[in-house]
Amino acid sequence: MRNLKLKILAPVGALIIVASTGLAFAHGGATGIVKERMDLMDAVGKSMKTITEMFQGEKPFDAAALREAAAFIGNHGGEQMTRLFPEGSIQGPSESLPAIWQDWDRFSELANDLTKYASALAEAADNPRGPGMGASMNQGRQGGMGTSPMGRRNPMMGGSSSSGMPMNDPAALAKMPPDAAFARVTQTCSACHTQFRKKQ
Amino acid sequence: MRKYYLVAAAALAVVAVGSAVPVLRGNTVPDTVIAQLEGDPERGAYVARLAGCIACHTNEAGGGELLAGGPPLKTPFGTFYGPNITPDPISGLGNWSLNDFARALRHGISPEGEPYYPAFPYTFYSKLTDQDVADLWAAMKTVPNADIPSKTQELGFPFDQRWALRGWQNLFFDSERFEDDPSRSDAWNRGRYIVEGPAHCGACHTPRNLLGAGDAEQALHGAGGLPGGERSPPITPAALGERGRDENNLAFGLRFGTKPNGDVLGGSMGEVIRDGTSWLTDEDLRAIAHYLLNNETE
Repeated sequence: MRNLKLKILAPVGALIIVASTGLAFAHGGATGIVKERMDLMDAVGKSMKTITEMFQGEKPFDAAALREAAAFIGNHGGEQMTRLFPEGSIQGPSESLPAIWQDWDRFSELANDLTKYASALAEAADNPRGPGMGASMNQGRQGGMGTSPMGRRNPMMGGSSSSGMPMNDPAALAKMPPDAAFARVTQTCSACHTQFRKKQ
Repeated sequence: MRKYYLVAAAALAVVAVGSAVPVLRGNTVPDTVIAQLEGDPERGAYVARLAGCIACHTNEAGGGELLAGGPPLKTPFGTFYGPNITPDPISGLGNWSLNDFARALRHGISPEGEPYYPAFPYTFYSKLTDQDVADLWAAMKTVPNADIPSKTQELGFPFDQRWALRGWQNLFFDSERFEDDPSRSDAWNRGRYIVEGPAHCGACHTPRNLLGAGDAEQALHGAGGLPGGERSPPITPAALGERGRDENNLAFGLRFGTKPNGDVLGGSMGEVIRDGTSWLTDEDLRAIAHYLLNNETE
């Protein structure tokens, strides 16, 4: 009987150990500035999750909560983020790539973009929701095919990536449906992680 | 080095076998009879989003003109450059007919009868409907001309032997249009059309054999050796389920790049989302998500 119990309990125990070390491993061994920024990234990720769940319709849409989460992200971009990356700080479990210091201008630019777009998202929190999930059967993002699709400079692009287009202007984004600013926030995260974070 | 010889030997074998096939399909002009179709340039611009034309044919990072030639695409076979596909009569497609365009997209053969490298995903575009091809062509014609010569593909022997691609096409490629599965819903069929056709998800998410042909048995199981040293994750129903994906958060993720855990999708998928899937209708995104999560047919 005891053996049987052991047989059942041993794997359960092993699972618990594996699960708990798994959790600890995420930041295991991180100290000092590396730990500080990994904790910050975690917190930013939590805010992103809050916003995502709301936009996806898994949680009720709450403009105040959106504003708060977006402001949190905005307050931790720019220098608040870059100050956590002193040159060469890739020790321990850090996922940072040395490319950060080889292309510090680009890294800083993206950190500033994060603040710009997250702040625009906070400002846009009360605007009506735009095209996107939840509004069924509508078209995709504005400009994708609505207006004259070709003919302007980069018409197929509809202004998605060339700088200077309205989609990159925080003041314009603040007046648009929050979906537009949120798209710029996620694109900024993605661009920075692609260039400066170890492959997952 | 050993792998190189293996690949080279395999390539020569393919050429030998492929060229021995008595019916050189490449020499017969495919019977595309869609010239009468009227294309809608607005719908065509949308098809261009679905098909990701811009990424490979526009050097965004280098400040290149729209569709006037793409950035280097480094692969294990060599470096490819998407050619100039603006309507320029000298450097682009100015002298092409709709049938020429359809034959290039769906059969992988140039108007001069030259086979294309499968880096151009005609193995997927062959599924395109007549109307989507006509619409895309109507959209292509509205792009500003750019008289910029296309770059030469940089491939080492034996992959620089273009004639050998006939053998490759004979062995690995059947130009087949998409067919609905009547036992499945409209959304499932639409999703499958997008995934297997224009969106060519398998170009990155399905592993290729030593000669660059997709491994059908490992469809959407994820692949390594992608341009830039990237690795794509599996996007089978099981793998997506393990990553916490459902139809709602997958469709949403294709618009915004979000993951269920608050992280975002990076790498070249970030670009695919930014320039491609984020522009699609909710209906199409949901169809893609529905198909990806429910495609365990075979």
